[in-house]
Amino acid sequence: MDEVAAAPWDRQGGEIDTDTRVTLFERMLLMRRFEEEVIAVAAAHKYIGRNHLYIGHEATGAAVLAALRPGDVAHTTHRNHGHLIARGADPGKALAEIMGRENGYNRGRGGTWHICSREVGFLSTSAMVGGSVGLAVGAGLAAQRARRRTISVALFGDGALDEGIGYEGLNFASVFNLPVLFMCENNAKTGQRPSSMLAAQSLLDVPRALRIESVLVNGVDVEAVYKTATWAVERIRRTGAPVFIEAKLERWPGSHQLKPELTTGRTNLRMGFDLSRITGEHADWIGQQDPVLRHLRILAEAKVLTEADALAIDRRVDEQMKKARAYAEASPFPNPESAPMGVFA
Amino acid sequence: MTAKSSMVEKSFAQAMVDALAFTLRSEPNSIVIGRGLTGHGSEMNAEQSLHDEFGDRIIDPPTSESLVVAVGTGAATAGFKVFVHLGTASFAFEAVNQIVNEAANVHYMSGGQLTAPVVFQMYHGIRGGGGPQHSHSPQAMYANCAGLHVLLPSSPADVQGLLRTAMKANNPAILMNHSRLLPMRGPVPEDDFEIPFGTADIKRAGRDVTVVATSHMVNEALKAAEALAADGIDIEVVDPRTAVPLDRERICASVRKTGRLVVADEANLTCSIASEIAASVAELAFDALKAPILRVARPDVPIPYSPPLEKYLTPNAEKIAAAVKAVMGKSARS
Repeated sequence: MDEVAAAPWDRQGGEIDTDTRVTLFERMLLMRRFEEEVIAVAAAHKYIGRNHLYIGHEATGAAVLAALRPGDVAHTTHRNHGHLIARGADPGKALAEIMGRENGYNRGRGGTWHICSREVGFLSTSAMVGGSVGLAVGAGLAAQRARRRTISVALFGDGALDEGIGYEGLNFASVFNLPVLFMCENNAKTGQRPSSMLAAQSLLDVPRALRIESVLVNGVDVEAVYKTATWAVERIRRTGAPVFIEAKLERWPGSHQLKPELTTGRTNLRMGFDLSRITGEHADWIGQQDPVLRHLRILAEAKVLTEADALAIDRRVDEQMKKARAYAEASPFPNPESAPMGVFA
Repeated sequence: MTAKSSMVEKSFAQAMVDALAFTLRSEPNSIVIGRGLTGHGSEMNAEQSLHDEFGDRIIDPPTSESLVVAVGTGAATAGFKVFVHLGTASFAFEAVNQIVNEAANVHYMSGGQLTAPVVFQMYHGIRGGGGPQHSHSPQAMYANCAGLHVLLPSSPADVQGLLRTAMKANNPAILMNHSRLLPMRGPVPEDDFEIPFGTADIKRAGRDVTVVATSHMVNEALKAAEALAADGIDIEVVDPRTAVPLDRERICASVRKTGRLVVADEANLTCSIASEIAASVAELAFDALKAPILRVARPDVPIPYSPPLEKYLTPNAEKIAAAVKAVMGKSARS
């Protein structure tokens, strides 16, 4: 990865403070434990929803959403769980939604693909490929015309650039100079059928042709993403013009079309301190591409976190997830007769 | 359907694949565009034989529904027979402009100079956990666009015969398959055969009430028929098989026999296929009706994700049976 975008931040001479580094770790761990819980819930309840999990993407979501300010808005996709948790959504309400319960964020109407929390700044969660791109440009237009100094974020995968709406959204944002962060999480896998097909050599050739400031970052390196996102968000706020970030990451091996499987096992934080614990078929992914363990290893080497510190954080996160599960399990299913209500505002 | 051909048992997915194989073998200028032709569930491997036999004539496109429809239409107008798979019907909305403004208008707008022999296949219906963006049944929307044939098969034999006809025809057609039908098994003639459009099929003969049902609702109506038979009610299940063209004649003939009509269709109630059938019978066979017509359709509500909410809105055998009982009870003139 020779184009990594840490450069703009480095020119500003910034470093990430210790508290932020630890906070990012805890947030990523919560995102991971949430998805592990989703797999447990799916097995226990045999519900039919097809989850697109965020495992492997944690560095990108945690860093980008942490770089935003209150008032900034975000638009996400069918792979939304991590984005919601990253922005501080309540894991209990999110889990309840995945379980189709009345106390879920969408009162059971949306489910796993459409979890949306207005209170933490999400204005849409669409499962249509490229859907978030066009909607985020609209929110960017609203921010510009209302003279808010807020920005609008479109979170999407590489497949969004297969769709016309991806190109159309980028073009409009550039023509009208809108405060939009285009955040592309590229998990295209070579070897298998890739999730996108682009004739351009680099995905970034597309926004660049439309004169959008565009940078590439290693999507499993949370500090690199945080620096890049902070730089981008500041630039958008200052200039009002859009920025495109491509975060490249390796697709998690448990990701399947219909039903994800925890093929890499429940994340064991001790692996962050003892590499010899990483074994088995997916040792490469766990050792190289797992953003949670990668960041933990860096914090351990920098003596920011001891193993005991990490395990204490893990216990806190576990406690949070236990409460979330209990909240979701206690929530009733919606009253069936309420199904026809609420079609119009 | 030729009666002489011996029958083989196969799945709905396999029948669709076989219709395509017959076409690709006999028509060198034919191609298939799309990935996951037979869904991502239990029947996902059924399409493999097409890749094995026909190689690069099965094109795996980018996620570009609008463009894929345009390419299919363009290739068809340039002389190919094209089958375009669009995945979930909810995704095909991305391509509606290309279907409605381009494909459907090719022939008429050119004063008859051009044709667009292209089939657009999509999976419709409430499938369990699909939520608001994966559960649409937009058959009535396409029936409302002049220039498109709309095919609604309910069995393996019907999908094979209708698709074969569509691939030999010179017009664009929407092949609207319910995702729940894919694993359904049934007898299909072994040899190549066609089912002409606009020929309704009496799936069950009966005396008391005509139930016209489409797509997956045909099978729900047949289930309802068994339950009703236990109560001494004998329904006739009529499957139009194509919404455009619609076999009004056979539908009205059945209503003239029974005097009562229930229509079951999974599209939203307002302006549904059921609406069109009910209106047609009211126009053409009003004098034969002993009771008001009832429609069993999806309420005009986005389909929610939560299972009890979804179930409440889904048309099924119980709702069809209740409607049949209602038209029997309301019978004022007999």
